[in-house]
Amino acid sequence: MHSLTVNNLTFKYQPDAPIFENVNIALPLNQFNVLVGPSGSGKSTLLKIIAGLYPQFGGNLISGNITIDGINLSTNQHQIAMLFQNPNQQFTMDTPRNELIFVLENLQVKPSEMNARITESLNFVDCTELADQNFNTLSGGEKQKVALAVIVAMDSSVILLDEPFASIDPGARNHLLAKLTELRDKHHKTIILAEHDLHGYQEIADQVFQINPGDSNIVALTQDAKKKLFSQFKPITMTTRIKLPSEYDQPVITLDHFHLTQQNKTLLEQSKFTFFKNKITLITGENGIGKSTLFNAIIKLTPYQGKILVSGHDVKSMKQKKLTRQVGLVFQEAENQFMAITVAEEIELSKKHRLTTYFTDQLIKDSLSRLNLSDRLDQVVYSLSEGQKKKLQILLMLISGQQILLLDEPLRGLDIDSLAAVLVLIKKASLAQQQTVIMISHQLTDLAKWIDYHVLFAQQQLSYQEVL
Amino acid sequence: MNASLKLLLVLLISLEVSFTQSLSANLILITGSLFYLMIHKTSFRSLLLLGVVPFLPALGLFVTIYYFSPDHDLHFAWVLFTRMYVYVTAGASFTLTSTPLDLALSLEQNWHLPSKFAYGTLAAFNMLPKIKSAIVTIRTAGLMRGIVLSWWSPQLYFKAILVALNWSENLAQAMISHGFVEDQPRTFYRQIKITIIDYSMLIVIILAIQLPIWLLP
Repeated sequence: MHSLTVNNLTFKYQPDAPIFENVNIALPLNQFNVLVGPSGSGKSTLLKIIAGLYPQFGGNLISGNITIDGINLSTNQHQIAMLFQNPNQQFTMDTPRNELIFVLENLQVKPSEMNARITESLNFVDCTELADQNFNTLSGGEKQKVALAVIVAMDSSVILLDEPFASIDPGARNHLLAKLTELRDKHHKTIILAEHDLHGYQEIADQVFQINPGDSNIVALTQDAKKKLFSQFKPITMTTRIKLPSEYDQPVITLDHFHLTQQNKTLLEQSKFTFFKNKITLITGENGIGKSTLFNAIIKLTPYQGKILVSGHDVKSMKQKKLTRQVGLVFQEAENQFMAITVAEEIELSKKHRLTTYFTDQLIKDSLSRLNLSDRLDQVVYSLSEGQKKKLQILLMLISGQQILLLDEPLRGLDIDSLAAVLVLIKKASLAQQQTVIMISHQLTDLAKWIDYHVLFAQQQLSYQEVL
Repeated sequence: MNASLKLLLVLLISLEVSFTQSLSANLILITGSLFYLMIHKTSFRSLLLLGVVPFLPALGLFVTIYYFSPDHDLHFAWVLFTRMYVYVTAGASFTLTSTPLDLALSLEQNWHLPSKFAYGTLAAFNMLPKIKSAIVTIRTAGLMRGIVLSWWSPQLYFKAILVALNWSENLAQAMISHGFVEDQPRTFYRQIKITIIDYSMLIVIILAIQLPIWLLP
């Protein structure tokens, strides 16, 4: 069978801890290959080695090479395209159209053919209307759509995707998965996709490869093992009932004649809406609908019309310094949260100015070990994997202890064990510190039992829902 | 006019007026630049800013020369006053009528600037708004952890540099994964040519301005 082969791969970041040791795997061509493994096990690393980005941009390749049908990869340029985990830093130009032009120029496509290819690839992922918008105005999900359009335009035979749907709503995710299947079936592309959340892959995935961090190896799963793995991610057919707020609930954040716009587009227009005290409220809604922008408005990072009242005080008349001691935001991008260099320094910093004493040294130690971060204390925060960054970021903000905590996609990029650990941590800490938690999430697996209320953000309105 | 030639013209003119003292030439250049800006539909607000922003430094130069130099030279004071405006209006004739993309494409195609440099700079330029918002985000992130970072705080800029380094690496990886290979030939969707008209305009304008510069006071 034709395959993309990883031969004798040994790869290290640190001299004494190889991330892969003598890995030999064959990924069949023209198939949908899924790569699984816990946070930080090396999924992104393997994809970047295949894409030829590592070791040029990091790590040490001790031995091994990648071949397609026996031919060494480095001599065949443009055979491989990659879609990154972080939607924000994968474009050189200012608009999708200019980016597509840049890409096609790189591939030395004739200028006369470019317009057709641009239109075709934008059509393929249904994002024609985004063509001339500035990237700075697109949501994470919209950027990932454009990134896929770029890959379609490149027409590479191998497509690598590194947790591409982490910031995408379920609808858009299903749509893009269908597109990827179409690329495999009609255009004979080889797809290699790293993912934690395996919903919807059972029907699609031809092969599943699992990274075992213990022995630095990768194995192809047997049919039985595959079945067992997928059974953890049963489709959510059953909806769970969620309570509606009662008259006894105390308001904590109130939007009053509130009007939020971006680029002259109305995101939210509501005469009155209330979030309630000491509750965990989940906000769901499609990509680009304005969920993150709403959070930014609450902490005065984005202008708005109308009033936001936090514990009865108008946010506009509050000093930023005072506001941020009451409302904490866990940014969608974990790196935005970091202020120091190493994990230990970050923890120290959070302890220094914390508002409650709930997190004792012992509790911090326990939490770190439950989040699998205990042995990372001296590591530079920026060199953690995306999942590890996310976990650390959440812990840091919980230690800070603001009365109100806004969490923007706190579960993004977390494996199933980390997910549970993070949710337990949030629940316990918020109860003990009497915190109000409002969180945005596209990842809804098992979330119902952790939350008090569910708010749907749709058609420029927020509304409490009885189901999730 | 071709963006890189326009830039060259602006630089040559600015250089020459720096070493000559013709008030009439300065006035002609200012009028010419304003005219050029107006035919390119520059907003009234931008034009107003061009008038207001250099006023204080220009006035400063005028006062220094006229009141505090030994010969109280009124002509030279006016020359320096208007020179400030020549720099600003001529510069604006370039920056307000050409995009960074125009310039990058022209430098790449007409002057064979390495494409790595052209697109690297362009990508960095496209990130400017993000850098601005990144600084605000860093300050807010600090406040939420109880740290006040003032605008002159080294910690703020240390963090900003870390962010920028990280971005630049991600960007380099993104460029490569989008098919960019250093020193490999590329095709051009927008062919940027320097026409005979571009060259003629450059030469005619340069020659024409020599008359007032050297002959008129």
